[in-house]
Amino acid sequence: MPAQKDRLHGTLDALVLKTLTGGPRHGYAISRWLRERSGEAIVVEEGSLYPALYRLARAGWIEAEWGTSDEGRKARFYRLTPEGRRQLQVEVESFRRFVTAVSPILFTA
Amino acid sequence: MARKRFHEQLRGLIWKAPVTEEVDAELRFHLEMVTRELVEGGMAPEAARAEALRRFGDVESVSKECQQLGRAEQREKRRAAWLSELLQDLTYALRQLRRAPGFTLTAVLTLALGIGATTAIFSAVHSVVLRPFPWASPERVMMVQETFRGEPADMSVGNYVDLKAVSTTFRHLAAQEFTNVSLQEGDTPERLSAGRVTHDFFSVFGVRPQLGRTFLPEEDAPGASSVVVLGHGLWTRRFGADPSLVGRSVRIDGASHTVVGVMPRGFDPTESGEELWVPIAFTPTQRAEHDEHYLTVVGLLAEGRARAQAHAELEPVMRELSVRYPRANPDRGISVRPLAEVIVGDWNEQLLVTLGAVGLVLLIACANVANLLLARGAARARELAIRAALGAGRMRIVRQLLTESLLLGLLGAAAGILFAWAGIQVLLASAPEGIPRLDETRIDGAVLLFALGAALLASLVSGLAPALRAARSDVESVLRQGARGLSQGRDSLRAGLIAGEVALAFTLLVGAGLLVRTALHLSHVPPGFQPEGLVIAQVGLPMARYESAEQVTRTFERVLEGLEGAPGVSSAALSSQVPLGPGGGSNGLLPEGRPETPDQLINSVRRVVSTRYFETLGIALKEGRRFEARDAAGAPPVMIVSEELAARAFPGEGALGRRINCCEAPPNYAKEVVGIVGNVRTRGPMSDPGPEFYLPLRQAPAKSWDWIDRTMTLVVRRSGSTADAITAMRTAVREVDSTLPLSGITTLEDALRASTAASRFRTLLLAVLGIVGLLLAAVGIYGVVAYFVGLRTREIGVRMALGARPMDVLRMLAWQGLRPVLAGLVLGGLGAAWAARLLQASLRGVGPADPVALAAAMALLACVALVATLAPARRALRVDPSQVLGEG
Repeated sequence: MPAQKDRLHGTLDALVLKTLTGGPRHGYAISRWLRERSGEAIVVEEGSLYPALYRLARAGWIEAEWGTSDEGRKARFYRLTPEGRRQLQVEVESFRRFVTAVSPILFTA
Repeated sequence: MARKRFHEQLRGLIWKAPVTEEVDAELRFHLEMVTRELVEGGMAPEAARAEALRRFGDVESVSKECQQLGRAEQREKRRAAWLSELLQDLTYALRQLRRAPGFTLTAVLTLALGIGATTAIFSAVHSVVLRPFPWASPERVMMVQETFRGEPADMSVGNYVDLKAVSTTFRHLAAQEFTNVSLQEGDTPERLSAGRVTHDFFSVFGVRPQLGRTFLPEEDAPGASSVVVLGHGLWTRRFGADPSLVGRSVRIDGASHTVVGVMPRGFDPTESGEELWVPIAFTPTQRAEHDEHYLTVVGLLAEGRARAQAHAELEPVMRELSVRYPRANPDRGISVRPLAEVIVGDWNEQLLVTLGAVGLVLLIACANVANLLLARGAARARELAIRAALGAGRMRIVRQLLTESLLLGLLGAAAGILFAWAGIQVLLASAPEGIPRLDETRIDGAVLLFALGAALLASLVSGLAPALRAARSDVESVLRQGARGLSQGRDSLRAGLIAGEVALAFTLLVGAGLLVRTALHLSHVPPGFQPEGLVIAQVGLPMARYESAEQVTRTFERVLEGLEGAPGVSSAALSSQVPLGPGGGSNGLLPEGRPETPDQLINSVRRVVSTRYFETLGIALKEGRRFEARDAAGAPPVMIVSEELAARAFPGEGALGRRINCCEAPPNYAKEVVGIVGNVRTRGPMSDPGPEFYLPLRQAPAKSWDWIDRTMTLVVRRSGSTADAITAMRTAVREVDSTLPLSGITTLEDALRASTAASRFRTLLLAVLGIVGLLLAAVGIYGVVAYFVGLRTREIGVRMALGARPMDVLRMLAWQGLRPVLAGLVLGGLGAAWAARLLQASLRGVGPADPVALAAAMALLACVALVATLAPARRALRVDPSQVLGEG
């Protein structure tokens, strides 16, 4: 079902973008942050995280740059572009509308 | 912000780190981090590593997916960067050009001149030579001719019928006879060019009629009903483009013909101006006749067959015919050539030579623009050095400068197309008649493409060297010394450009000089007759009413009688052909005493003339007598020969009183030479006089009336105005037969002018190109010398302050300016030799290595170069030394 896949993609994209609002992070940091923030509820599969990062970079929403990690290792850092920031707003807004529409149906007896 | 991103894109471009490595490094880092986290949580390193891999899933396929996405991104970025750079270069170039309007205007106009001239001539070449003919398969349409001693000739009916019978390489093989017919519709009869054609003539070209149909197979048989196909021109001109004309009948040569079809506009496949076509019907006698060669044969090769195959098939047949009919077909071979090639003929080469000449002008223009760009590059050295210091790569600067010259080239092309359009109008208005398809010249897609190509070439040629030079300059020294430090004194690139320009201009001028000398020569060539005051017109007698030879002779004599003594006429004559007029015919002549073998025959132009022909045309009698009233039918047969024929028939002996066999069976076979007349240049001053002989009108062989279609040319030396003479001719003809039209009325002075029009046109064209080239070269020399002088102003000031005499300084500067000019002249000598070889076929009365043309071109260039050198040099002498020195 392509629609559902889009939904999932969209959600993952939004989550990744959101992760980067706090500043540049590398892929491992992103996956950790997502895990911790959701109280381990969401474990983004690394198998989907990295393709998502490359997809977002291609769309111009994030930019990659090599830098040094806290441990002093070379790592690829991702940073939100202005277009990415705008995209995040769009995604958040769209998710809010979705939840608003779905909640009364799902949560009432 | 945008600048920074641009910078990053640029770096990404240069770096281009392999995506594979990036992805691998990134994933490796991730796995190591997870492993370390697990180890810190208390796992053994080995197990932690395995667990990290397990959690990650299929590393291989994730890596592959990421690489694909990454590569796609890189491609897109590169494209975007390229586009944005181009846009940046363009806006920058535009700004630069706007900042220097004088430079821009000069460069654009120079290029426009070069591109415009080249494009205009190319459009003509395209129209005449390159554009395919409007036939279904132009490449398969062939002209099939007999050859007589290697020269292509018309074909006899017998040969045509025999060749057609065996040929399988041709899908259609059709014959055409050019003829003239009288169209009797309305009050004024009209004489028209017509084609008598076999029914499949139209199939050869695959052109369908606009209305109705073409001929049916049974319609070119003897005794078939009379039908006619009209040309579009005649249909609109005489019949008001009436579509209901098809099926109606019109009167042609006194007989009623049913119009079965109308051909579309522009259908004139043999470029001979036929206005209608009637079927040709060969009688059994004609089909067996091999000696009368008058058919034009065209064929459509069968699918997949080549010209060489057709030739190989027909050649042995022709050889056999030559053996079977030795008298009729001596020394005959076969020639198969694409019809398009036959029609375009010499024009192909002539136009290409002209195109080459305009190409030279374009190159001169390019050299000038290159010089301008060099001067500008030097002036901008500082700006470029700063850009280089700021990190712009060398290629980047070259690209930037090339973009600028490309922009110049495009602007030049735009203006050049306007020039070309104007040039085409002038070309069409001034071009001589008779260049096939020239009137269809226009600016179309192919021509625009050519202009664009010329512009690109011009940009590249003129921009590359200056751009490379500017990018190569030593950044540091420029920044330290400023622009002045660059190219002090000598500058071999500029000198080289000047030498090249001079060489090109010299080539052009020598070419033009040779053609001008030819034109001068031609204007002095004696034509062999006195064209002033001669008026000519053709009269043709329709076979239907004038069948017997006696009838034809008698009628022409009556016309002549009516003319003699008419007001406005001082002398009148009749001839089957006059110089520069239509008609013709030749026979193989056998001087008496020579063995009767084909190689002894002298092919000689035949003229059937009235008694006063030589007096009327002013052809000199060298020996013997002219024709007289006693040279009548039944009297001893006589002929008059040209000096050329006399010399060939009886070399070293007198021809007078000797006998020559020709044209008829005995007893009239041998004819006595009673007079020798001067040679005549029948086809105009470009042609050499060939052997010619004259027969008296009343002794014309009966068959000859069929050969010349019962058509004679009336020639009148006027005593009053040309109009009076024409009126007298009309009256004389009308009084004999009021249905006979006069056609081809002209004066021989006009005809003479027309015969050299094409040659004069080319001369004018090349002369104009030579002058444009000369002017451009002068501008170039002036610019460079002025530049040198400018660079050396300081040095000149110092020299003068130290006591140098002005003459010394002037000599020094002149030498510097003239040295490349001299080098150019030497180089140009090679170019001139090449140009002369190309033009050789067009030259008359002047050798390709004509010292006058060479000296004139050299002197002209040297003068122009001297003026262009001295003018800026003299200005330098007015420099005030104290001021120059104070400046430093």
